[in-house]
Amino acid sequence: MFSAVIANRLFSRLSQVAWRPSVVGAVSVRGYHGDAPGSSGQYLIEIPLPPWQEKVGEPIDVKRRRLLYESRKRGMLENCILLSLFAKQYLNTMTEAQLRQYDRLINEPSNDWDIYYWATEAQPTPPDYQGEVMNLLQEFAKNRQQEQRLRAPDLEYLDPGTH
Amino acid sequence: MLQHLVKKHGPVRLLESVTEVLQHSSRHFGSLQEKMRRSSRNFHFSIYGKRDNAKVSDGISTQYPVVDHDFDAVVVGAGGAGLRAAFGLSEAGFNTACVTKLFPTRSHTVAAQGGINAALGNMEEDDWRWHFYDTVKGSDWLGDQDAIHYMTEQAPAAVVELENFGMPFSRTEDGKIYQRAFGGQSLKFGKGGQAHRCCCVADRTGHSLLHTLYGRSLRYDTSYFVEYFALDLLMEDGECRGVIALCMEDGSIHRFRAKNTVIATGGYGRTYFSCTSAHTSTGDGNSMVTRAGLACQDMEFVQFHPTGIYGAGCLITEGCRGEGGILINSEGERFMERYAPNAKDLASRDVVSRSMTIEIREGRGCGPEKDHVYLQLHHLPPQQLATRLPGISETAMIFAGVDVTKEPIPVLPTVHYNMGGIPTNFKGQVISHKDGVDKVVPGLYACGEAASASVHGANRLGANSLLDLVVFGRACALTIAENFTPGETLPPLKADVGEESVANLDKLRFANGSTRTSEIRLNMQKTMQSNAAVFRTGSILKEGCDKMDSIYRSMDDIKTFDRGIVWNTDLVETLELQNLMLNAVQTIQSALARKESRGAHAREDYKERIDEYDYSKPIQGQQKKPFDEHWRKHSLSYVDAISGKVTLDYRPVIDNSLNEEKCAAIPPAIRSY
Repeated sequence: MFSAVIANRLFSRLSQVAWRPSVVGAVSVRGYHGDAPGSSGQYLIEIPLPPWQEKVGEPIDVKRRRLLYESRKRGMLENCILLSLFAKQYLNTMTEAQLRQYDRLINEPSNDWDIYYWATEAQPTPPDYQGEVMNLLQEFAKNRQQEQRLRAPDLEYLDPGTH
Repeated sequence: MLQHLVKKHGPVRLLESVTEVLQHSSRHFGSLQEKMRRSSRNFHFSIYGKRDNAKVSDGISTQYPVVDHDFDAVVVGAGGAGLRAAFGLSEAGFNTACVTKLFPTRSHTVAAQGGINAALGNMEEDDWRWHFYDTVKGSDWLGDQDAIHYMTEQAPAAVVELENFGMPFSRTEDGKIYQRAFGGQSLKFGKGGQAHRCCCVADRTGHSLLHTLYGRSLRYDTSYFVEYFALDLLMEDGECRGVIALCMEDGSIHRFRAKNTVIATGGYGRTYFSCTSAHTSTGDGNSMVTRAGLACQDMEFVQFHPTGIYGAGCLITEGCRGEGGILINSEGERFMERYAPNAKDLASRDVVSRSMTIEIREGRGCGPEKDHVYLQLHHLPPQQLATRLPGISETAMIFAGVDVTKEPIPVLPTVHYNMGGIPTNFKGQVISHKDGVDKVVPGLYACGEAASASVHGANRLGANSLLDLVVFGRACALTIAENFTPGETLPPLKADVGEESVANLDKLRFANGSTRTSEIRLNMQKTMQSNAAVFRTGSILKEGCDKMDSIYRSMDDIKTFDRGIVWNTDLVETLELQNLMLNAVQTIQSALARKESRGAHAREDYKERIDEYDYSKPIQGQQKKPFDEHWRKHSLSYVDAISGKVTLDYRPVIDNSLNEEKCAAIPPAIRSY
């Protein structure tokens, strides 16, 4: 019991130190994300955030489930609508490599507006995010079918019982 | 071995022993359970009663491992207010946890492109008392003047503080913080014309604020628990002693024991069909407080943003009108000139929303169904559009198919802000009100859109909300620092505290009724939109209340489909729906009861504001109306979470400033712009 408590304290201290942005290499396991290449966050260089880190060893089905949540729960309405509908269309058929690209694309940039501007081609996408998934997203954002995109899709499309 | 657990969840405290082997589908817990058994003692909730359900596969456990944490303070929410509170607490040496369902920079604060008001006087002579006057007037005298005094006086220092933290405000040519015009802001107590009081970081003020505060807080060792969904407050003996949360990554339950808990969970815009807020604005904190038997305040005061893009709800910032955009009706008339001869298109939001709705109701709406109006920007130089209002063109094109340099944007009043929320005093302490007396709820604080301090009263002025976040986020931290010291012993908690919350979670996870979460949610949203929107009348509100009663009951027949526990979005959205529902019934019942028009609450059947005196006439010789015959009072609402039955009570408005010599209170007057 006591050794556990001591271990806790020791580790919590260590992890607290690790949270300091100055020790970037030792950043915690929860995948802090912040300064992304080419993101508007770079104008805030005085306040660096720890870099985003990919989750290591995450099973592919767990990754899909996480990305579903993270596609639907954005900081702003536009991305809630855009990414949740995009996820409905593509998430379940993405390859592992595509999932990893998508993960980085929606989680690394700290400003949701950047993602939105890149996806809608209002601003050029930085090379790091350019690729297969961004192409899909940009094409999707054009809304060529002129669907009504009013809100996130109802989740039932994932219910195996309804198919 | 313990390290894995500690690493995953931060400082961990394990309680009590368990002999039963935990069955858990999650990969993590395969190893975790072993570590727990080996290392010391642990604690878990076993929720029985669902195991016979044939739909439950063997791999799915109905047991929930519980991890306990001890902190000096816990902050729920990591938007502007939560981060400011967390940062302030950590800076003062408190061991602070910040529990949030979203990564900090994913908070809805990021959507705030407008700016932050402070009487810095960079563009012309300014005085915080003028800002105070505007805010009191904007609140339609439902705001508590002590809190408004506090906020407006602190505003310049709050902005300078942010600047010192590194927030890169837009600047004038001589290097001062640039300030722009915003609706509802005047000089010289309404007599000196439009004020330029709104500081911004181009159109990225919200993100910049989040980034700055998040970055700062990391320097002070704040422990973040990201993508944890807070379920309930841990209440004992009328005190708040922490929160219980679900870790979405692995389905574990976490109890954050803390002497002080700050709620900063934002608004509940998603109770309505058309709203500008992110899908995550589900009033979680308000509901936690409601379930704890405490009141929410002024929930009927819902601000509609005049210019959501017709259909989609995407926001066209008020800065458009600040930069010279105008609203026109189907006859091409700039109709705001008729409703607000002085402020015109810069009148406060409820005035604009109401004017737009009247235009539509009187048949001067645009489009084939005459159900919206136009926001015209194409008379502005394209360069000004591009530099001052970037992003507007893209949004209009993508969601409305409109080129703003050539055509007007179709717009409609859309839910934008909730003035009501958890009642607090100007120090951020949550209060309860019994027998005419305000009492502090020990250990509980609220700030930001979740709170009702109340600085916005019946209506919020543009660019006062970011100010509210930083001022009251900071106030919560200061109040805690004044009254407590880091490392104080925590009061004891019952071993099974929080079990009800987990039982509820389990019930929803296995709910197998006949109505989908999404179906009930849409029913609620449509009912609120059609029965409790900009214009309200008794009969329509009553019908809405009855509908909401039956929709509330339909929660008993809810059907979820995801029986997993790891990243169960279906479960989280169902928990969010429960929260929305508690917010919605309080909103509509409070609106039905309030038989007057004030600020954002406009009743067609009670068009007048009903104060203790008739302020349109000299007060001399008038008899003051007793408390229960006028409406210049805060609504307090309580809900029985099982039946959904709402009970209402009222609380007087605080009419004195913090210091009458420094800042004279503004007596009520008839509001016109």
